[in-house]
Amino acid sequence: MNAPAGLDLASIPERIEAEVQRTIQRSIKGVEYFSTSGPTLGSTPKDILHARGTMNLYHYRALADEVYRVPVLIVMATTNRGYILDMVPGQSFIEFLLKCGYDVYMLDWTAPRPEERSLRMEDYVLDFIPDCVRRVQADSGEPDISVIGYCFGGVLSLLYGSIFSDGPMKNLICFTTPIDFRELKLFSNFSDRRYFDVDRLIDSVGNVPPEMILSSFEMLRPASRAVSQIQLWENIWNDEFVKSYRMFDRWATDTLPLAGEYFRAITKDLMWDNKLYNDTMTVGGRKAQLADIKLPILHAVAEHDHIVPYEAAKHLIAKVGSEDKEEVMLKGGHVSLVAGANAIKRLWPKLDSWLAGRSI
Amino acid sequence: MADKGSDPVALWQKMIGEMEKGFNAFANQAMSSPEFSKAMNQAGGATAGAQKQFGDLMEKYLLNMNLPSRAQMIGMAERLQTIESQLNEIKAMLQQMNAGNSPSGYAGAPRPPRTKRPPAVPGSAPPPSGEQK
Repeated sequence: MNAPAGLDLASIPERIEAEVQRTIQRSIKGVEYFSTSGPTLGSTPKDILHARGTMNLYHYRALADEVYRVPVLIVMATTNRGYILDMVPGQSFIEFLLKCGYDVYMLDWTAPRPEERSLRMEDYVLDFIPDCVRRVQADSGEPDISVIGYCFGGVLSLLYGSIFSDGPMKNLICFTTPIDFRELKLFSNFSDRRYFDVDRLIDSVGNVPPEMILSSFEMLRPASRAVSQIQLWENIWNDEFVKSYRMFDRWATDTLPLAGEYFRAITKDLMWDNKLYNDTMTVGGRKAQLADIKLPILHAVAEHDHIVPYEAAKHLIAKVGSEDKEEVMLKGGHVSLVAGANAIKRLWPKLDSWLAGRSI
Repeated sequence: MADKGSDPVALWQKMIGEMEKGFNAFANQAMSSPEFSKAMNQAGGATAGAQKQFGDLMEKYLLNMNLPSRAQMIGMAERLQTIESQLNEIKAMLQQMNAGNSPSGYAGAPRPPRTKRPPAVPGSAPPPSGEQK
């Protein structure tokens, strides 16, 4: 019987030996996997500049001999932890920025406590962000600030920037930020106003539990968790793969609850009425229109983003009133755009080249 | 070495990848229907309703047992949070006050000068303006 085309019979013993070796390694590493914790994440040296309830403001310690004049404030998404931007040395966006000479602050979130269920959109946009901005100004001694918002952190930064359009924000960078919430098709269907009683949910549970947030993210790609575990088993002999898997898996499952009133506002104003896209958004009675944003803005979107598809994000650059504005679409997904090997070679250098000249 | 087309491991990985894509696409299509939303929210609503009823019953039970209810605990937590916030403010003020006396604290730590300029790129234009894509 002839061998199928392309199959090198001479290589079979070699391949069998390699597979046996890997099987042995899988067993050893499999035991190791369950008996050890993953890599330490978010370890770039930092100080807590301010903490208030769900809000934490960090200042990262400089890693360069001189820094750009304008400090950078990162506004993290309220559903997830900020250490996605500070994974491990060599794979940390924060470390990259520090080494490039930026003075970096981060507004990160902890799980809102039961008594914080009453936090509203205005608490985030008109209190937390302005409070952090004031503290960054005071700490750095600089009047101007560049803001980087990731995902919903981008939405909060846009709302802040549209209300406080006369400063002190000097530059705005958004990563994968949704504008047209109808285009978040599945989220939109899950929260269909005919069937989703958000008032009943919030009145019952207070803060939206993290399991619910995580399930809704996982439902976007229901087979992916099972497949990623198969891939983990196949590659468990590979230390680098396992390290990367543990970092991302830990972060992805470390979802935060959302304050009840805040979630109610997101559902009604953004998911149901699509107010940001329709230019009818108000926060605490103040108009928040994207056209009022006039500062330099960069929007980085991911080509294969299954959480915020391009259709939902593409309107940002068209709607802001800035003259200096740029959208950049990069290969990758919602997370790999900002963290991991893909981000290291694509987004990070792009961001540095855009921001450096605007930070003096 | 066998090429990718005949490598059983590569074929297995490709098959898994294709199955993942296919299942995700199928599930996404199914979950896009109003019927799915209705069924999902009915189930979720029933759970939330049951949770609320259970919570109400539990509150009555705790009252009868002369134990603090959840609402009372939340009230206490709110007061604790206020105290924590005030402590944090005091701590920050103390750090600022100590900054002059001790160079080792956060505020006293040396800061690099804010003099950095972007690296010059030969033939580069000033920062871009106007919409790009």
